[in-house]
Amino acid sequence: MAGSHSDPLAHPEVRMGGAMRYIAGFISTVALMGAALIVTLRHDMGYETYVEVVGGLAALALLSQAVLFYGLDISRAQIWKSVSLILTVPLFIITVGLTVWMFQSLDQRTMVMPNSAAAATQPTLLQ
Amino acid sequence: MQVHVPGPWSPLFGRLTLDQIPYNIPILQYTFAGAMLAAIVVVGAVLYFKKVGYFWREWLTTVDHKKIGVMYIVIGLVMLFRGFADGLLIRTQQVLANGPNAPGYMGAQHGFLPPFHFDQVYSAHGTIMILFAATPILTGFQNIVVPLQLGARDMAFPYMNALSLWLTAGAAGLVMLSLFVGDFSAAGWVGLIPLTELPYSPSTGVDYWMWAIQISSVGTTLNAINMIVTIVEMRAPGMTWFRMPIFSWTTLSTNIIGLTAFPVLGVALALLGADRYLGTHFFTAGMGGNLMLYTNLFWLWGHPEVYFLILPVFGILSEVVPTFCEKPLFGYVTMVAASFAIAGVSWVVWLHHFFTMGAGPDINGFFSVATMLVGIPTGVKVFNWAFTMYRARITYTVPMLWAMFGLFLLLAGGLTGMMLAIPAVNYTVHDSVFVIAHFHCMVLLVVAAAFAGVSYWFPKVFGFRLDESWGKAFFWTFSIATLIVFTAMFALGFEGETRRLDWTFNTAWKPMLVVEEIGMILYVISLACFALMLVFSIVNRKKNAAGPDAWGTSRTLEWLTPSPVPFYNFAVTPQVNTRDELAWRRKHGLDKAQPEHFEAIHMPSNTGMPFVIGMLAAVWGFAMIWRIWWLAAISLTALIVCVIIRSFYKNEGYHLQPEEIAAMERDLALGSVVSEQPDRSHHHYSHVEAH
Ligand code: HEM
Ligand SMILES: [Cu+2]
Repeated sequence: MAGSHSDPLAHPEVRMGGAMRYIAGFISTVALMGAALIVTLRHDMGYETYVEVVGGLAALALLSQAVLFYGLDISRAQIWKSVSLILTVPLFIITVGLTVWMFQSLDQRTMVMPNSAAAATQPTLLQ
Repeated sequence: MQVHVPGPWSPLFGRLTLDQIPYNIPILQYTFAGAMLAAIVVVGAVLYFKKVGYFWREWLTTVDHKKIGVMYIVIGLVMLFRGFADGLLIRTQQVLANGPNAPGYMGAQHGFLPPFHFDQVYSAHGTIMILFAATPILTGFQNIVVPLQLGARDMAFPYMNALSLWLTAGAAGLVMLSLFVGDFSAAGWVGLIPLTELPYSPSTGVDYWMWAIQISSVGTTLNAINMIVTIVEMRAPGMTWFRMPIFSWTTLSTNIIGLTAFPVLGVALALLGADRYLGTHFFTAGMGGNLMLYTNLFWLWGHPEVYFLILPVFGILSEVVPTFCEKPLFGYVTMVAASFAIAGVSWVVWLHHFFTMGAGPDINGFFSVATMLVGIPTGVKVFNWAFTMYRARITYTVPMLWAMFGLFLLLAGGLTGMMLAIPAVNYTVHDSVFVIAHFHCMVLLVVAAAFAGVSYWFPKVFGFRLDESWGKAFFWTFSIATLIVFTAMFALGFEGETRRLDWTFNTAWKPMLVVEEIGMILYVISLACFALMLVFSIVNRKKNAAGPDAWGTSRTLEWLTPSPVPFYNFAVTPQVNTRDELAWRRKHGLDKAQPEHFEAIHMPSNTGMPFVIGMLAAVWGFAMIWRIWWLAAISLTALIVCVIIRSFYKNEGYHLQPEEIAAMERDLALGSVVSEQPDRSHHHYSHVEAH
């Protein structure tokens, strides 16, 4: 009985990654986030494409973390972790959805400008 | 990419210079003298009685959930005291600085606090009360009580539990340090945007606020994970979901909120940090930034956070009320359902904190209705407690008095919350002190439940009850003070006093401001009663000694253990037969049954690593605040190295031998939380593999 408590190899549900998986997860996540940063700094995509590309990169980063860091799969041993992840999906949709809805409406009501690109070129105190 | 900061900066000390020490401000001189005196007394006592080793071995390195809980509550109470001192300063300034002819002292034009200092005081007050007083106190109760209620040996992850505590402690230390080195944020506890941006708050105040919250909320998030896993995995045999005590249920629901909400705060503050440190424009007024995105993210966490505070309070009430009504809780299943309904709804109401943003009638209408929906499960709970008390044999002990006062505050706070949830009403009283009075009813309900919990569970941890008469004196002075201060504050809200005024310009407010100040004086008296209660309780501890069931009418599993509860909790893991297990055993005459023999218990070893990591996190926060990059790099690297080293520990723990358990069960003082334990590391598990 004793001993099995402290030996992670005997517990698939807490046995997460190995050194290689951690390193791979770290590199892939940093690379994906870095790519998103570069895309943002270059300003050379249309707004819609930009949102899609950055969203896609974020999804990939999430996936690589889930798989490489947490070793998440659909096996029985991982059930609590995979179910928890799935349970956050509705929360994600609700919060992001409501946020989009309120800012959409706010924008229409308060930000009507002849040329909305003008807003992006205003100088700020930080400059 | 690094942002240019105003004022001097040197590679060695960052922004830190000698004139960042505010030695010329009289209030801070007194505070500093007081703090030093307290430190000398405490450190002196520890040295004089040669207790350094004891504190290190038994407290700073402990992984015992009860000791960790006690330390959480002590930190919370110290911060509650600090926050109260801030509140006293705010109230005194507002009553002194009333009207154009109000005299000024100590360099202030009116009153005694100049605006910039006053703004720091209320910002610190709110931040401290919510994040460093209420949160740690409630976390402390969950730590102490939940494993006991579930029949568990400890939390699921004892090491991570200690880590959560020391992260919180380190962050609280940073907040306190801002008194004497630099300054604190002057932008409110919510971080009013764009005030928190570097051009508007160029000093390190906002950085103290931001990093202290970041560090402590990592601790809170880890603790939430720990609590959830403990409840899911560590229940004693027979403890099915619907036999679980309500406090454990509310702990589960509240920590689901904690786990999902705190990362949002982390993101909001990280983006703000990017603006302040890297020159990005997430929340600026131009360059594609949007101020309201910050407000949105903050309240996306902020509203769930207020329910994160209130749900454990509902749990405490649900334990205290049945005990002193000598009846099972009315409507157990609806209580569970209501807790989860509240947790769920708390995620879709956050816009009610910024109705005045102008998102439009559809959106304000949606969030108004959603907010009011919270009233349904809350109403269910209130009726459940009322029906529990209906025709019951109520004993008016100190915990019960606090619980009943709590119900009153819940009603006052809940109904005014409903008023605020109506956008038309909200537009007229938003940012007035009416809002302040509303939420103080709610957060003082948290305080009331905290004191209910302290007096209720104190005998379980320390083996004796708190002094009843001083406890009652404390209760009455405190609750009457609350009524005086906040009734007057509701009135001032209707008279149009806006919040956060360093100068109360309208002389018509004077009478109510004076009433508030009278209430504050009564609060000070109540503090004296609290101190006397502690002194007399310790003096009379023999007389107030408690048996396993300290109140004689308790119902849940924690009261099956001896008082003071030994560090291994249950000598033999209990087999649970029903809901309200202890009440059931008492009825069947089984509550005094003793096991025939003991078996060795596997315990985790203490470790200093969480303490070291918590302190490194605080050093790292300090370095980031003052932009001392070399120190930040070293402390962060050291922290990560510690985490990696620790993850290679086997931590095999040790085995507590049956003879030792038997001895400690005979003489409870041997195993209590304050006792010193011999070194048992030689009882390595491999020697007793036979078990
Ligand atoms: C029936 C339940 C509740 C309702 C309907 C409600 C409603 C509201 C509304 C509409 C506001 C925004 C007022 C404004 O700024 O114009 C508000 C503010 C606030 N409420 Fe509540 N509330 C409820 C329960 C609670 C609870 C349980 C707590 C805390 C334990 C709480 C703490 C707060 C705080 C801290 C604020 C103000 C934050 C700030 O602006 O500094 N409320 N409440
Ligand atoms: Cu709210």
